[in-house]
Amino acid sequence: MTLSTFIFKNALRNKRRALLSVSSVAASLFLLVTLQVALRELTLPVESAGAELRVCARNKVSLTNPLPARQRTIIEKIPGVEGVTPFTWFGGQFQNEGAMTFAQFAMDARETRRVFTDLKLTAAEQAAYESEKSSAIIGKISADKYHFKVGDHFTLDSTIYPGSLEFKIAGIFTGTADDRMMMFHQEYLDESIGTPGLVGMWWIKVKNADDMPIVIKTINDAFANTAAEVRAESERNFQLGFISMLGNIKTLIASISTVVVFTLVLVTASTMSMAVRERFRELAILKALGFRRRELFVFILAESFGLAVVGAVLGIGAAYCVYTFGNISQMTHGIFVSFEVTPHIMGLAALVAALLGIISAIAPSLAVARMSVVNGLKTLD
Amino acid sequence: MALPLKYNFRNVIVRWRATLATILGIAMVVAVYVLVQALAVGLEKSASNTGDPRNVMIVRKGATAESSSQVSLAQLQTVRYWPQIAHDAQGVPFVSADVITLISQPRIDGRGEANVSVRGLTPIGLQLRPQVKLVTGRWFTPGKREVAISQKIARRFTSFHVGESFRTAGNTLTVVGEFDGSNSAFDSEIWMDADEARSLFDRQNYSSLLVRVTSPQAAQEIISRIEADKRLPLRAEAEVKYYGDQTATATPIRILGNFLATAMSIGAIFAAMNTMYASVGARTREIGTLRVLGFRRRSVLAGFIIEGALLAAIGGVLGCLLALPLHGYSTGTMSFNSFSETVFEFRITPWLAAKGIIFSVVVGIIGSLLPALRASRLPVIAALKSV
Repeated sequence: MTLSTFIFKNALRNKRRALLSVSSVAASLFLLVTLQVALRELTLPVESAGAELRVCARNKVSLTNPLPARQRTIIEKIPGVEGVTPFTWFGGQFQNEGAMTFAQFAMDARETRRVFTDLKLTAAEQAAYESEKSSAIIGKISADKYHFKVGDHFTLDSTIYPGSLEFKIAGIFTGTADDRMMMFHQEYLDESIGTPGLVGMWWIKVKNADDMPIVIKTINDAFANTAAEVRAESERNFQLGFISMLGNIKTLIASISTVVVFTLVLVTASTMSMAVRERFRELAILKALGFRRRELFVFILAESFGLAVVGAVLGIGAAYCVYTFGNISQMTHGIFVSFEVTPHIMGLAALVAALLGIISAIAPSLAVARMSVVNGLKTLD
Repeated sequence: MALPLKYNFRNVIVRWRATLATILGIAMVVAVYVLVQALAVGLEKSASNTGDPRNVMIVRKGATAESSSQVSLAQLQTVRYWPQIAHDAQGVPFVSADVITLISQPRIDGRGEANVSVRGLTPIGLQLRPQVKLVTGRWFTPGKREVAISQKIARRFTSFHVGESFRTAGNTLTVVGEFDGSNSAFDSEIWMDADEARSLFDRQNYSSLLVRVTSPQAAQEIISRIEADKRLPLRAEAEVKYYGDQTATATPIRILGNFLATAMSIGAIFAAMNTMYASVGARTREIGTLRVLGFRRRSVLAGFIIEGALLAAIGGVLGCLLALPLHGYSTGTMSFNSFSETVFEFRITPWLAAKGIIFSVVVGIIGSLLPALRASRLPVIAALKSV
């Protein structure tokens, strides 16, 4: 019998306990991974292609205050600007459906392709969208959810503007960071509410990334001290600002993660000391046979480390499979979209498991190290 | 059926070292459960706390938040002289036309900006909301760029305290007072003069009307009259009901709490099972003795399940005690309904604490079921012989 089989046999001699310990480690690590992924998705928006070339401009007072439509010609003339589109939140809901459905924005149909370079739409769909004012394009996730096909008609009641609008789907797009939203013609919205000359915000495409700081500054300066001052920033900063409004959610999830880890250490350490207490007599025999403290520590460490690692593989693996192959946007009713288990998060969870294995071995090892062979042999249970 | 209860109770005490980790583990699970649910309760309380039963709120039909609602001057004039509306001593109708705007302001902890609701209202509007009380300073003067801010919001943003001032919409607003909204939705607002707010934020229309009615029956009449009048694209609702319906924000928190509780309790059940199995294993001879003394199998079974439940209940109580210091602690998040910062408190109600303890007992019972079954099935002679 080699040393490794000895350790292996020891770990499995109480199969039920080994199974329960592994399961509790696995359940906790599954939870830890879930929390970390949720935290990441809430605090780090998905990086979309072309974001480094986009600028968002909103009313300086707040996102919900509109901007005058006449600002557009001034922005278009700024050197380095390649495209500008209004971006107006419509806040539409299906009749009798209380909860938020998907986001809809009124935009300029022609400029959309220029500003959102990552948006994928066939040429025919794009042409159909541009040619008909009441048409709209919608992301694939929402299209699948509501079983929309090209050519379908539906009506949305606005929670922001009086009345409702009927839309015809001209195309279904993919490729953006959030394939849930719907885009339609700003002119269509304007006509229905009597053209008040207001838009929600501006989304701007710059020619190259080096121009970005200058373009942002020029836009901000252009409307300083006017009735509608503008806050322009990169798309990334805009999204981060949006997320900072979530407030203390981040602290909440981070503290829950800490509690989970702490509980995990507590429970596993207690299991390990249970396992060692049970075989005090055998360890005393090993000591009597001439095994050193160091070697006994390695026995215990290897066993506890092994249990933690098996638990980690199961827990992290299960989380990875569920969130990678499961339909997360369906499970969370669209609150989370990607729920990506990154290598970084898996590494973090594995590190927690490794530390757990080491910490759990310390207390029982100390007890074994301190015990005298005679007392150990006398132990009954 | 005689139960070896005393034996089981004393075991929990005598072998505290072995069970401590399990108790603490369950305490953590219960503490997390209670705290997350306390957030949801706090959010719901702040919504259901708001409003006066004598008031009726009028907003644009289809608007889900006051900030996106619009009521025109003509509509205000129509509603203003309806007979169902009460009058003050001077004969002025109790009608408050409010303007709600969101302004983006820097947080005090330097972590970016957040939207805050600004409510423009008249002195009548103050009278209609008696639950809001001035704590320091004074109310704003009509015609001046002055604001009064909820104490709870003031703590979360820079320059929101009395004497300070901040810039928005190209103008400077001075803070002249701080108020306490008694844990209502008004705790998340900045208040200023209605006409000043309309000129500052360039608003033609009002956002909502709040009226005091003469009787509960009059309230019903106003609601049906607005419903029936197709020329008025408005919706009227009892103020209490309007705010009571705004609790949807708490739903994601409730879901989070339930998910956490489920996932953590699975881990806790495994841990409790481990402890109880070890406990049964170590006490094989004692169990044999109990059986010889005449305790039946089912008594041993019940005794061990009760022991597990007791163990978990101690954990549950401990968990509630761990959560308790956060009771009343105020925190904030963005409400997806109003799209602005909403402050609320952790609220640990007796019912919530009871739920936490019941939850822990369930974990204890499930965790000790199989080990107890094993204890009850031990063959008597073999058990007595074991060392």
